[in-house]
Formats: sequence, C-alpha cells, structure tokens
Amino acid sequence: MTALLSVRDLIIEFDTAQGRRRVVDGISFHVDEGEVLGILGESGSGKTVSTLAVLGLVEGNPGIMGGQVELNAGETHVSLLEGLEGVIKRPAGKPPRKNTRRWQRMVHRRMRPLWGGLMTAVFQNPRHSLDPLMTIGKQVEESVGLAEPTLDRAQRRARAVEWLDRVLMSDPERVFRSYAHELSGGMCQRAMIAVALARAPRLLVADEPTTGLDTTVRAEIIGLFEDLLADRRRSMLYISHDIQEVLHLSDRVIVMRHGKIVEEATADAIKRGVGERHPYTASLLAAAELGEHG
Amino acid sequence: MGGRGTSFALWLSGAVVGIVLLIGIIAPFVGYDPVSDVDYDAQLLGPSWSHLFGTDAQGRDVAIRLLKGTEAFFLPGLLAAAIAVVGGALAGAVAGYLEGFGRTVVLGLLQLIDTLPRLVFIILVCTILNPSITLISGVAGVLFIPAIATVIRRKVEALASEDYILAHVAHGFSPARILIYHILWLQCRPVLIRQATFVFGYVLFVETALSYLGDYGVQEPAPSWGNMVAQTRDLAGQAPWPWLFPAIAIVLTISAFLSFGNLLARRDEEAIR
Amino acid sequence: MRALPLVLATLRRLAGSLGLLVGASFIIYMMVRMAPGDVIDAISPMGTPPEMKAQLAAEFGLDRDPVTGYFAWLSRSAVGDFGESLAFSPGESVMAVAVPAFKRTLMLCALTLLAGLALGLGLAVLMGEPGPRQQIFTGPAYVLTAAPSFVVAVLFAQGMNWFIHLFVADGSYEPPIWYPIPIYADSLMPYVFAGFSMLAGDGLFMDWFNTLRAELLSLKQSQFIIAVRAKGARTFGHIVKNLWVPVISSFAARLPLVLGSVVIVEYIFTLDGAGYVLLEASRLRDFPMVVGLSVLFTATVIAVSLAADLVRALVDPREVSRGG
Repeated sequence: MTALLSVRDLIIEFDTAQGRRRVVDGISFHVDEGEVLGILGESGSGKTVSTLAVLGLVEGNPGIMGGQVELNAGETHVSLLEGLEGVIKRPAGKPPRKNTRRWQRMVHRRMRPLWGGLMTAVFQNPRHSLDPLMTIGKQVEESVGLAEPTLDRAQRRARAVEWLDRVLMSDPERVFRSYAHELSGGMCQRAMIAVALARAPRLLVADEPTTGLDTTVRAEIIGLFEDLLADRRRSMLYISHDIQEVLHLSDRVIVMRHGKIVEEATADAIKRGVGERHPYTASLLAAAELGEHG
Repeated sequence: MGGRGTSFALWLSGAVVGIVLLIGIIAPFVGYDPVSDVDYDAQLLGPSWSHLFGTDAQGRDVAIRLLKGTEAFFLPGLLAAAIAVVGGALAGAVAGYLEGFGRTVVLGLLQLIDTLPRLVFIILVCTILNPSITLISGVAGVLFIPAIATVIRRKVEALASEDYILAHVAHGFSPARILIYHILWLQCRPVLIRQATFVFGYVLFVETALSYLGDYGVQEPAPSWGNMVAQTRDLAGQAPWPWLFPAIAIVLTISAFLSFGNLLARRDEEAIR
Repeated sequence: MRALPLVLATLRRLAGSLGLLVGASFIIYMMVRMAPGDVIDAISPMGTPPEMKAQLAAEFGLDRDPVTGYFAWLSRSAVGDFGESLAFSPGESVMAVAVPAFKRTLMLCALTLLAGLALGLGLAVLMGEPGPRQQIFTGPAYVLTAAPSFVVAVLFAQGMNWFIHLFVADGSYEPPIWYPIPIYADSLMPYVFAGFSMLAGDGLFMDWFNTLRAELLSLKQSQFIIAVRAKGARTFGHIVKNLWVPVISSFAARLPLVLGSVVIVEYIFTLDGAGYVLLEASRLRDFPMVVGLSVLFTATVIAVSLAADLVRALVDPREVSRGG
C-alpha cells in the first residue's frame, strides 16, 4: 500500500541575519491511508515548516534544499521535488528571491490537483483561517461544491448545514449566516474543521489547531477530531507541542527536535512505556505528567 | 531587504538635504540686490563659468537667485515643521491621556482641522489676510497637527498599558518624563521625523505654488523658486534655464527631504523592533 | 438581514458628517471675521457702492457679533445662498457659478483617481513582490514623482510645447487647438494632461501603488487565503472581495489630495473648474465667491468620506459592529 504522503531526507535552510541556518536536517516520514500521524515538537523544532513546505502551503520560498516528497491520491501521483534541483539549490548568501517565483509556479502547478482532493488544512488562529467577509455557511458550501459538484444549490446548502451540525454547533443555521468575527475561537475552529472536511480530503493536516484556545475548548476540539476520524476513512497529520493531545489522537508519533527526528514509535508503545525512549521524549513525558498533577 | 540600495539612497538624499540646509543657512548672509543685477546685455545666457546656471530674461544670474530663493521657504518650513510636530505631539499626548468629555472635545477639534482641505483653506486665508509666507507656514503647520496627533495618540494609548511603561509609573517616574522621553523620543521618533520632513516639503510646495501664481507668494523682483518657474509664461520656446533649474531644484529638494525622512524613519523603526 | 444596525450606523455617520460641516464652516466664517481693520471694507473690492457693501454686510452677518453673525450666515449658506459674486462674475449668484464649475472639477478628479486605481492595481498584480531588479525603475520614479503636481504640470506643458514645436515648425503639420499650452481650448486633451500631472505629482500615484501592492501581497500571504488554496478552491474571488475595503479607503483618502492639486493644475491648463474659479476669485478679492467655494470644497471632502464609509459598511460586515 503506497503512502498518501512520503517524505525522504528533507533538508530545509533559512537565511537569517546570522547567516544560513539548517532548520530541517534530513528527516523522513510517511502517512498511510487511514492512520493518524502525530508530529510532536517544541517551537523551532522544524515540525511546522517541514509539513507545510512539502504541501506547498508556505508563501515565498520555503528554502527546501534537498530530499524527495511523494504524494499519492488514488490515480494521482506527484513527486514534488523531482527535477527541481536547479530551483532549489541556491548558493549560500544569495537572496532566494529570484528562485521564489519559479518555485511558486512549479509548486502550484504540481500541487494544484492535490490541494483539496488529497488534503486540506486546519491551522492555529482559527479566526484568521476564515474569510472575514464571507458567511461561514458560504465557506462550507464552497468546500461542498468542490467535493460534490453534482449537487444543486439546495442540496449544497443542506449538506453544509449538515456539516456544521456534525462539528457540534449548537445552532447550525445561525452559524451558517454568521461571520468569523461573530464567533468565539472554539466555534471558529469547529467551523474551520467543517470547511476542511466538507471538501472530503483523504488527508487532513492540522497544524497546532488547539493553540490559543481555552483549555476546555481544547478538549472539545480534540474530542471532535477523535469522533470525526473514528471510521478510519481519513488520515490525519497532527502537529502539536502538546504531548497529551498527540498521544491521544495519533496511531504513530514522530518526535522532532532541532530539525531532526529523534524518535518514531506507535502512540500505544509510548503510552504503555514499551521499549526504550529517547531521552528527549522521556523529558517531554515527564514534564507533561508534572503538568497533570502540579 | 535592499540593504545596500537603501543606505545608498539614505546617503544620497541626506547629502541633498545637507546641501539645502547649508544653502538655507548661508543664504541670508549673501548680499544680493535684484534690481542692480539686471543687465540687458546678458539676457538668457547659457550656463558658463561666470553664470553657473545662466541668466534670465533680465540678465540676472540664475544661480544666485536660486540661492536666495531658499530664504522664502527655509525658515518658514522649519517653523511649520516645528509647529506641526510640537503641536501634534502635545495634542496626541493629551488626547491619549484624557478620557470622557475632554477627550471628545480634543478629538473633535482635531478632526475639524483635519477636514479642511489644506490648499483651499490656505487660499482663503491669503484672500482675507494677505499674509506673509511666515504666517502661511504657521497655518500650514497647524493644518498638519491632526495627522501627527492621531499617530501619537494611538501610540500613547497602545503603550500606556505596556508592562514596562506601567513599571516606570510604579517606580515613580513622572508622567511627563515617561511621555517625553520613553514614548515620544524612543518610540515615536521615526514617525515624527517622517512627518517633520513631510511638512517641510509641503511648505516648499505651498510657497513655490503661491509664488508661481503670483499674488500671494514672493513678489518680483525678489527671487523665489516659484516665481522663477513662473517665467515659463513669458519664455515659451526660448532658453529654458531661468525656469528649468528652479523646477529641478524644487523636485530634488522635496524628494530628497521626503526620502531622507522616510528612510531615516524606517531605519529607526527597525532598530526599535 | 443586518438592516437595523446598518441604518443606525448610517444615521450616526450622517449626523457626524453634518457636525463636521457645521464646525468647518464655523472656522471658515471666523477666518472672515479676522480680516484686519473694518471687516466690511477688507472684504469688498475697491469701488464697491455702499448698497452693495450693506448687502454684503447682511450676508455675512457683519452687523452683529461673531457668534450670532455666524448663525445668520449659516442660515443662508445652509440652503445654498452664498450671496452674489462681486467681481468674478458680477451679479451672478455664487452657487450658479460654483456648481457647474464644481461638476467639471469633480469629473476631472474622479476620472483621474479611477485611472490611477486601474493603473496601480494592474501594476501591482503584474509586478508582484518588490525586488532588487524592480528597484531600478521604482527608485528614480519615486524621486521624480515627489515633485509637486504644478511643477510636473509646468514641466509637462513645456515639454509638450517643445515636442509639438518640432513637428509644426516647418509647417508640415497643423498644431492641435490646445497648442501652445496654456491656451484655453475646447478640447479634452488639456484635461488629460491635467489628470496626468495630478497623478504623477505629489507622489500620488507612487504612494498609492505602493499601498495597493502591499495590501495585495499581504492578502495573498494571509492565512485564510492559504487555507482556501489548501482546500483546492480558487483564491481569486476571495482576494477580490477582500481588496474592496482597502481600495475604497485609499480612494477616499486620496480625494482631498487631488482636490488640493487640482486648484493649481486647472489654472495651468486653463480649465474652468472650481479650482480655477477659486484662484481667480481670490485674485479679484471676490469674497462671497471664495468663501462659498471653500465651504463647497470642504463639503465635498466630507461627503466623499461619508460615502466611502457607507460603501465600506456595506461590503465589510465588521465595519457595522465597529460603530462610529
């Protein structure tokens, strides 16, 4: 069975004021159908940039310097970095601006068939992930229209309301007519999840979706994810710095630190303490437990 | 980022600004009698060693008139900039601190002044009072107070709740010191620089425009870049030096001041961050 | 729908705008009262017969103290009675002269701004992110466009004259009717030149272009646009919709600037718009004309600002709840 997303030996470098810095140092991971892969790491570990960059979701030049990225969605197969050596390898110190447009064009061309069909994304700061000038309902309808183009207007609307109901909105009709700035952070994130899932992707990418939300709301969102993925028809890539969330939702977990993968194991194994743990993972576990009681 | 390009532009505009400031300072000390400079044997000569920028239709030396022409806007420009910056900072700070009715009054007054279209109002003032350039500049400065006050007020409101400002208050620093030093000087300096150079450029524009139009600005035979440009009316098709050099001077000076202010402000802003 | 808050917000803004107009007209009136010496003598041109002076005094409420005088003047002005022109077009009512002139001026300003918007947006889309190679063009362009619009107009006029002169000097071509500038001519070209001067001068276009480009870029990089792209939808519709607000705001913000530059530019190209009338009336010390036009100019600025606010409120649902 081919993986939905397969990343091998990915290298990403940024140009900072202090010179060129390697933020992702040769990592490899994959996401299979029907599984939830958790990427755990603190800020600066490279977890966000590695996932968003390989999905073409980073504006500008993400600074990919090497590696392979394969994406599979049924018949569609895309090898993202193939043949792009000329674009991605750039001499140290030179501003990447000249390559940025070529990179963007190539990425857009290759990723366009995959965006939506293979994957959609949910980000942190949910209020900023929604179009401020459009009602929530219209944005969910937009996704529905792309996933099921044969529906007529009334059916589309009905499906959109269904989705809003599914993500546990207490008054789906009212939310349908609302705008992002009228909803709380938690409701915005639920709406965003509805928008993302109504598109019927095979892979949902969630980048720190609970960051910035209140603790109780966080738990609700996690519960919602659990519920929506229970039938194992979709995969999810869950990125977070919260070890409890990652362990709760994921089947497999990779732990990143300073741009490298330091641990890869099943969530089960980590939770039950089976096998040797990398010291970093162990420290994260310990800190989480302290948080629980203290 | 454009690092190298930016500092080149900074140096270039700074150099022009410096030259203009220098000329503006020494101009009043340069003796010049426009009447005696008239020499009908030397009309419309091209640039040469004896007349650096040529002569105009009355044989007067263009270069010296360019030099003396700075008197018309130099001090008035500085005056307007000072009025705008000081007035704006004061108004902004007061508006930021006040609450309730007082604040509404100050904000309302500022908005009123801001609504008046600047040039139209200046023409109105000219029609009624037939004022000197200095007075006109004063009015111009006042017209810019609301714009500056708004920026300052927002900064004051934003910073008033910042932790380090509250810490200063708790430590017993006087509000005046916190306001003037920490908020205005440290945080607002870039925007004040930018606004000051903009106001100076505006006074240059107003003075030259009014002198160009003829009724309210500097009157012949005294030189002003504006009334020198006005000679296009009599000299269509003939030698361009009498009006081309002043026109270039106006363009270069305004753009140098605006660029300098902008670049300096941007560099300061980055340093603050 | 959201009708009620929208209506309330509109009424609130309307009231605010009227208040601004009243306040601004108060300042204008007080300026008149500040005329040196005997106000009535200061504001009537030489040789005005006594009956005219008396009429003028009544119109401006000069026989009373400043405050009641203001209300006397206001009660007439509010219905559009600014008196009669004394020197510019003697006998004609100020409004009769001002309104057609204003129409011409507003047309010029609106078309100029629209052209600037189209060009600015077009360039912003084409040029994308600012880069070192672009700076070769934008750098000098920035310098040149800092020129005041009247300098641009003068230089352009002279350049145009010189250029045409090359073709007509030997008689092989007929000169256009507006040559040499400035000659009053019944032609559209001087308006085009005027519009160009206003756009190019005072950094109006360059500044606007930079603003539009920054807005467009920031929009393209915003999280919700990335989310739209990630779900495979077209970003174009979203971007256009979200551009309306900054476009309208920047448009309304630039009208006062254009109203300032139009005054002198109209004079240079001899277009009989409100700016030209203002300058001529000022030269002739025609106070009713000057005061009336000042109020009208101010009213225009306020009206445009109000209109922009209303359109913004219609487009952006966040505006309404934001209030005043």
